[in-house]
Order: sequence, then C-alpha cells, then structure tokens
Amino acid sequence: MKQKNPLSASPDTPSLSRRAFLKKSSLATLVGVSSGVFEIRAAPAEPPRTVEDPIRIGLIGFGEWGREIAATLTRMEQAQLAAVCDTYDVMLRRAERSVPQAARYTDYRAVLDDPDIQAVVIATPTHLHKQIVLDAFEAGKHVYCEAPMAHTVDDAREIARAARAVEDRLIFQVGLLHRSDPQYRSVFGFIRSGAIGRSVMTRSQWHAKQSWRRTSPNRERERALNWRLDPELSTGIIGEVGVHQLDTIFWILQERPEAVHGFGQVMLWDDGREVPDTIQAVLRFPGKVHMIYDGTLASSFDGQYDMFYGSDSTIMLRDQKAWMFKEVDAPMLGWEVYARKDKFYTETGIALVANATKLDSLSLSPTDPIPGQETPLWYAMAEFLENNAFGPYPPAANYQVGYEATVAAIKAHEATMQETSITLDETLYDIG
Amino acid sequence: MAFVRVACRAMATRFEMALYGDDPVRLRAAGEEALAEIQRLEAQLSFYRPSSEISRINQRAAEGPVRVEPGLFRLLLTARRLHADTGGAFDVTVAPLMRCWGFVNDTGRRPEPDALAAARARTGMHLVRLDEAAFTVAFARPGVQIDLGGIGKGYALDEAAHLLREAGISRALLHGGTSTVVALGTPPDAPYWTIAIARPGVQTAEPEGDDLLAQVHLADAALSVSAVWGKAFEVDGTVYGHVLDPRRGRPVEGAVLAAVVCPSATEADARSTALLVEGRAGLDRLARHTPPLQGLVVDRAAGDRGGTLHRVGAPSQEGRGGPVITLHPSAAP
Repeated sequence: MKQKNPLSASPDTPSLSRRAFLKKSSLATLVGVSSGVFEIRAAPAEPPRTVEDPIRIGLIGFGEWGREIAATLTRMEQAQLAAVCDTYDVMLRRAERSVPQAARYTDYRAVLDDPDIQAVVIATPTHLHKQIVLDAFEAGKHVYCEAPMAHTVDDAREIARAARAVEDRLIFQVGLLHRSDPQYRSVFGFIRSGAIGRSVMTRSQWHAKQSWRRTSPNRERERALNWRLDPELSTGIIGEVGVHQLDTIFWILQERPEAVHGFGQVMLWDDGREVPDTIQAVLRFPGKVHMIYDGTLASSFDGQYDMFYGSDSTIMLRDQKAWMFKEVDAPMLGWEVYARKDKFYTETGIALVANATKLDSLSLSPTDPIPGQETPLWYAMAEFLENNAFGPYPPAANYQVGYEATVAAIKAHEATMQETSITLDETLYDIG
Repeated sequence: MAFVRVACRAMATRFEMALYGDDPVRLRAAGEEALAEIQRLEAQLSFYRPSSEISRINQRAAEGPVRVEPGLFRLLLTARRLHADTGGAFDVTVAPLMRCWGFVNDTGRRPEPDALAAARARTGMHLVRLDEAAFTVAFARPGVQIDLGGIGKGYALDEAAHLLREAGISRALLHGGTSTVVALGTPPDAPYWTIAIARPGVQTAEPEGDDLLAQVHLADAALSVSAVWGKAFEVDGTVYGHVLDPRRGRPVEGAVLAAVVCPSATEADARSTALLVEGRAGLDRLARHTPPLQGLVVDRAAGDRGGTLHRVGAPSQEGRGGPVITLHPSAAP
C-alpha cells in the first residue's frame, strides 16, 4: 500500500479512525462500560474524526456524467469533493467553475497519492476503469466505479477479483443506481413476494434522439471523446445505457441470462459509424422468462422504462415511479381498492409507491412528483458515503453484481454487433 | 457553410439552437451537449420537481443552512445582486405572493388583507441568507421560497452558449421559448442576427407588417422580452395580468411589454422582468448602467392596441453592428 487509508487503519494502530471509534463506542454502549471516554483520551494529538466529518472524495473523470456526480456530491453534507481529475483541459476548466474548492489534476495518480482522500469515484470512459480501479485499491482507496465496469470480460473479471481480494477493508460499489433506490427496492419486494403471479417476460426500452457524437476543436481529443462510437472500445447502447436496465431485471428476477440474441443497425446517424444506433436483444433466463430490450438513438418516443409481465399483473417502472396493471382474473390483494390510480390510454395503473400512506395524506395523484424524493444518483452516493462512514460492508451493487451485469451487457452488445445468438454459460459468471 | 438546428423541451418551453460551421456532424454534437446542459439545469432549478435542488432548498432552508452546488450558489448571488440593482423589482422570492394572488394554477383573485400581509412577510431577498464560505442557503423564516423562473432560462442559455464556445462554435443563435435569445458571433452572411419583437398580444411565429413592434440586431449579446399576456383577471374595472410587483405586493399595472439587451442572458432575463415591473421608470436605470443598456417598454394605454412605447439606448452603428433596437415605423411614438 502506497498510502494508508485513515478509515482502514488496523485495530492496533494508535490513530483512531472514525470507523474504529464508532465500532468501539457502540460496543461500549452495549456492555454498559464508559470506555468510549477512555478511547478518546487514548487518541493521538490529531483530533479524532467524528461522524460529522465529511468523507473526502476524489472524482476521476469530469465528462457529462462526472459533472452530474460532482453536482450531487457538492450538495451532500456527508461528502467533501476534494479533488477532480480529467485529462482534458476543457473539462478541468469546467471543474474550476463548478467545483472551485476542489484540487484539480490531469493524472489520476495524483489523486491516489493524496493521503487525505479516502475514496474515489471513477467516471472515466469504460475502457479506462480497470487500471484506475487496480491502482486505487493499491493506494488504499475505497472505490465507486461507474457501470459498466469494463469493456471486456477479462477486464471486468480482473476488477472483480481485485475487489474481492480487498473486500474486508475496501469498499467497491458499482454505479448500478437502481439497487440503492427506495422505489426500486420497494418494487423488488413486491414482485419477489409473488404479487404478479407467474413471471412470463420482461421488456425494457431506452429511446432517445441524439447522435452520441462529441466534438472538440482538438481533433485528437475528439477521437478520444468519441469512445462510445469506437467499435474497439464501446459496449454500445445495451452496454453503456442498458446495463442499468439489465441489472434491474437480473436483480428482480434473481436470475442471470443463459443466452442472448441480438440485432443492430445504423438507422439514422449514418456518419461512418459501425456501432449501431438502433438495437434489439432477447435474453433467455433459466426460469424460461425472456427479457426483450430495445434501444435507439433515432427516436425519443416514450423514453425509458422497464416492464415486468406476470400471469396476474404487469408492473411498469418509470421515472422513479411504478404502476401495477392487474389481469381481470387476478386475485384481489385488498389494498388496491384504496390505492391511487392513473390512466394509461385504456389501461388503469395502480400506483405502487414506497410511502403510499404519506402521499395519500398529501392527496397527490400518481403522476405527481413525490416530495422529498432524491435522484437515483443521490441514493447511490448516499449509500457509498454511509458505507465509508460505517463500513466496509458489501454494497447492494457489489463486485459480483457489477460483474454479472457487465459481462452480460458485453455479450449482448456482441450479439447485436454480429446479429447472432450467444450462449452465456455458467463459467462466464464465475470470476474465478 | 453547414447549418444545423437542434431543439429540446425544458423549463415548460422549447429551447432551440441554430448553429453555423463547417461540419454538420460536429455542429450537431456540440448542440446536443448544450441541450443536455439545459436539461441538467432544469432538473436542478425546477420549482416543481421535488428532486430538484431548488425544492430541497425550499423544503429545508427555513430549518437551517442547506448546502448547494457551487454553480447554483453563484446564480443565487447573481439573483441577489440583480435584486439590488433593480431596486427590488426583480425578486426570486415572489412565490408566496404569486400563490396569494391566485396566480398558481388559478386565474387570480384579490387576496384578503391578512393573507396578503402574511405573504409579503415571507417575500424579499433579505430573508435569504447566502454563506459564501460554506455555499449554503438559509431562510430567515418558514414559508420563504425561491423560484428562479425569472432568471433560469437566461442562465441555461448562457451556460449552453459557454459549452458551444468551448466546442469551437462561433456562430449560433439560441433561444428559450422565443422570449430569451442569445447570439453567438454573427450569421455567415450578415453583420448581426436580426430578431423581431411582436406587438403585445400578437402570437405569430413570424410577425410582419403592423404586428411588428421592433427589431433587434444582436452580435455576441442577449435579448430578453417579458410581457403581460395570457391569463388576466379583473377587479373593480382594473385588469391585472399575472406579473407581480414584489416591491408593492400587487400585480403590475403599468407596462405590458419590456425588452432588454445585455451581454449576458441571465441578466437580460432578470432585467426584462424588472423593467416590466418598473415600467418607464426602469429605463432610467438601464441608461445609468455602466455601460448603458438598451431597453424598451410598452405602457398600458386604454383603447390602444399597441400602448405607448418608450425606448432607451443610443443606437450605435459602429463596430459589428449591434446590439441595436430599431422600432418598426408604425410603432414609433
């Protein structure tokens, strides 16, 4: 280890980490001894951390999503965005405007060398994740890594193995946001309890009208910025965007796909690109359920959502909200009579809301925004920060979860590129 | 020369950009990044979205300081400066008054004196505490609310224009809902972009003839037009529009249209709102500004469709030609 992480100090080191302090003081409370006082006195001259101390974070990668992460972290009291790193001077100038108090670096190693930084968030292009993750672990930093984890199965496996090797002392959370979102968690429980009957299929879509191109006055930089359109580096729509939706389906079905068939074409943005702008993929799960995924950069109609079709009802997850559409012959659940409903053309959706009673008391309709609701990114960051303060414990989106979603997405992308069928056998999901 | 037009929906209106350059693929790429920035800012600044930062501030800032993103914090400082610069005519805390007068999801009504007094007590920038060291916002009392509707569009356009410049775009016209416009450089075939302002009440996409009030020449500058139209209500024979004078706690009675040209769209947006509130008196303020700013006001005048028009700012024809507000011949006073 190049740097000692203040939060991963071993129990016999004299410095009193916040985590150690909390563990010890809570233990002290349990056994009814006032040893917490003793612990504080035993601390070195350096004042002990308290729960109020923000976690010092380094952000590596300040592209569009990196800026979103910065905007989220800078408003969270639990975090201090201490450093921002990007290899492109334009992005660093933006960082100077939007995170003036953070140090700025062009080399991520400078972030890792800063002993005061406890954790890093990696939001670089996908193919650059691996080396940064490995170096971050080496430097003793906790890691939040954007999804997909990597652009190749080998890289993803290497990251997952490295994360497993340090899991008792370092956090590794993958940016699969829905796993931290209370609304998604509530729907997960609902479906797992059998409320939709027999699961028969799922359908996810992501529709946008955008070219996915990036530009820069610097031609070399422009090539680097367009990694999503580089067939050697890109995991396509299903990898770069769909990985979040694939993971949601894997999580809620509690299954991993065993085969994928894909189609892909350049339908609109015929600018010499090879990565399709419009794709369809069908994934088969062991429980005979099929997942249909469709993604396009050529039409924004109907945006993004995920559907779970069951023999008793169908559930739609959309914009951090969820609705249930019941079959007429489905058993009564009881509460749905009182639940708030919303019309979708001729179908009636019953709102599934995490805190329905509270919303009812505010007499909000299902399409009204939910008060106090944060963005999915905020929930994911909050989980990471809490883990930094009180962990490390395995995050909801841990290395295994991240690995499975990543390799399935990579294979699905391959299938859409080649318009073929690929078997995903058990060894694929084994990180070895 | 290539030309690309891109658009998106945000802030309850349509944002559009017309971009000129050599390569249509690059123009579109730059435009898409700028549109994404506008949508990001909408998610952050929206008064109506509960997950927006503004909603968080409005929910929590009366209980104690709320930390905000530095960009938003700077915008709040700008809003405070513009409040002072306009003698309080521009005020982002006017939401309680708007609700009190029934301007939110309603046609409007004259409020009870007690309700009005209560709303006025919750209005004013002095109730908003900005801590520049900690990037926090706190309200002096419960019920204070920040609504950046009068400045958000301009700010989003300024930020979008900034990204376009970074991407190497030097000729573009951006607008939000046709009421706030930013000109980057000049068009390829003219020394300035020409923007038409329609008479109050005229709602055609391309006004011409007597529907025209003025035209504005813009080059590396912004224009914002504010107007009282659409919803209105009548009390004791006086017709009130849905624009409030935050200084007096009552609807604006004087002006029906105001336009301001500024280097920044954020400022143009706020200053045109303030000018609509202040009416003709606000023109003096623009004239005293360093450098002097151009603006125009249409006063309410019974029986006269166009109202009475007042203008400030000496037309300067040197340099690149703009900005210049030119009145349509039929509109000249």
